[in-house]
Amino acid sequence: MSILDDLCMTVINGDLNATQNLVQTALSENVPPEKILTDGLIAAMTEVGRMFENGEFYVPEMLISARAMKGGLAILRPQLAAANIQAIGKVVIGTVQGDLHDIGKNLVGMMLEGAGFEVIDLGSDVSSEKYVAAVKEHTPDLIGLSALLTTTMPRMKDIVLALRAADLRDKVKVMIGGAPVTEQYVADIGADIYAQDAASAAQRARQLMQE
Amino acid sequence: MTKREVVHTVLEGRTPPYVPWSYGFTKEAGAKLEEHFKPLDVEEVLQNHILKLGSDIGFFTDLGDNHVQDVFGVVWDRSIDKDIGNVAGCVLPEPTLQHYSFPDPLDRRFFSEIPTRIARYGDCFRVFQIGFSLYERAWTLRGMQNLLMDFYDHPDFVHTLLESIADYNITQIREALKYEIDAIYFGDDWGQQRGLQMGPRLWHQFIYPVLKRMYAVVHAAGKYVFIHSCGDVDEVFEDLIGIGLNCFNPFQPEVMEVEACMERYRGRLTFHGGLSTQRTLPFGTVEDVRMETKRLLNMGARGGYIFSPAHDIEGDVPLENMLAFIELVQNQPGYQDN
Repeated sequence: MSILDDLCMTVINGDLNATQNLVQTALSENVPPEKILTDGLIAAMTEVGRMFENGEFYVPEMLISARAMKGGLAILRPQLAAANIQAIGKVVIGTVQGDLHDIGKNLVGMMLEGAGFEVIDLGSDVSSEKYVAAVKEHTPDLIGLSALLTTTMPRMKDIVLALRAADLRDKVKVMIGGAPVTEQYVADIGADIYAQDAASAAQRARQLMQE
Repeated sequence: MTKREVVHTVLEGRTPPYVPWSYGFTKEAGAKLEEHFKPLDVEEVLQNHILKLGSDIGFFTDLGDNHVQDVFGVVWDRSIDKDIGNVAGCVLPEPTLQHYSFPDPLDRRFFSEIPTRIARYGDCFRVFQIGFSLYERAWTLRGMQNLLMDFYDHPDFVHTLLESIADYNITQIREALKYEIDAIYFGDDWGQQRGLQMGPRLWHQFIYPVLKRMYAVVHAAGKYVFIHSCGDVDEVFEDLIGIGLNCFNPFQPEVMEVEACMERYRGRLTFHGGLSTQRTLPFGTVEDVRMETKRLLNMGARGGYIFSPAHDIEGDVPLENMLAFIELVQNQPGYQDN
């Protein structure tokens, strides 16, 4: 097995120390940073997403894999910057105003990062104004809106409307998710993408960048 | 037949004279009902069949600025969610109980109102509530993401934490059993919209043995075991029945097939809940609510079912939709004749 195969396995197994050691080793063996990222860390998190979709992995496994991936990425990041390797896209995420539930949103952020995106996390209880300001500031490809409650779902529509009012709607795609949110709700509020969980959020965001 | 006897009939898998019911409302939704029914007492109007004793979420000290602290030391931010709140901070930042002391499980506040409540609502089925009864208590203390990773990083700590929570609960249960109650109503959300948060393997390894120990105490006293556990958890129903679960709530139609579950577990498990709070109640019409309620009442006519929305009603549910199901359940012929 190559060192990158080993790296994949350590991320999938959620082994932070081994992941960081292998990233260091790969760099010292002059494996290009982009290859370590793509064939090591991103490949591993794609597999984690697949296993989550198949019911082989659940939230704990996803969390420890994401932690290992982040640990590896922290070591790799300066090398990626030095080599001028860009993220595959930029995403702004948050839980909508009136909703403080953030674990689903956090998982989405981790999986997006693991798919090669730059992720800007606005946190929870995020107002339309903050989303609009973040879109202006960061010019993301995509924004992700999370809501756990039926009472806070309508804030998603407010954000879509606020983007329209700010003349930004055609500059960014809107992805929505959360327990009560459905594919139908995407059409109802004029969003673009529905993600039923963190793995599919990463998958659908990646598809979007390929379109 | 008293309401208490009707619920007993249902739990024993026999055909009741009508489908019993018991439901609750968040503060916001409750205020709408109070306004509508004033000067009547909403509790009297609703005619719930289950009398809730103890406290589902515990007791709190007001810290000001919309923050409260529970008896376990957990601080809750209620600036948005006025009913329960969201955990702020972390009581157990490290995976150890070395510097932590559990509160007094025999705190009189859990028991002091039991005699007067039973005297007032004696015709109801009496449940003593243990909210946040295991996994939820653990994550409110340790943080949800921390705890989920602790399953792998610090399994011994997780076992110790869960067993300590069970010890606390069991002491409280033994005290509650000194009163004339019918059941212990545990509350512990394990599910997501799809599947268990921690997955079946970790659930079996960590949660199941502790549930078994707690349920056994209740059964040894000849009482029923109820659990409220939100989300898609039906994959563990057989395990729960095996260790003595009698009634499951909230029976969410968005995450499990309500009719299929009723058929599959008939005579072995009673369901409490079933009316959609994610779709029908907030977004449906009065007619939608009536149709779904009728379907559920028909389904439960043979027993094994206690009607309720699948969660305390939230503030986004129109008053007309609340009144629609309240009217239908109370107009059941068997209830009117009883």
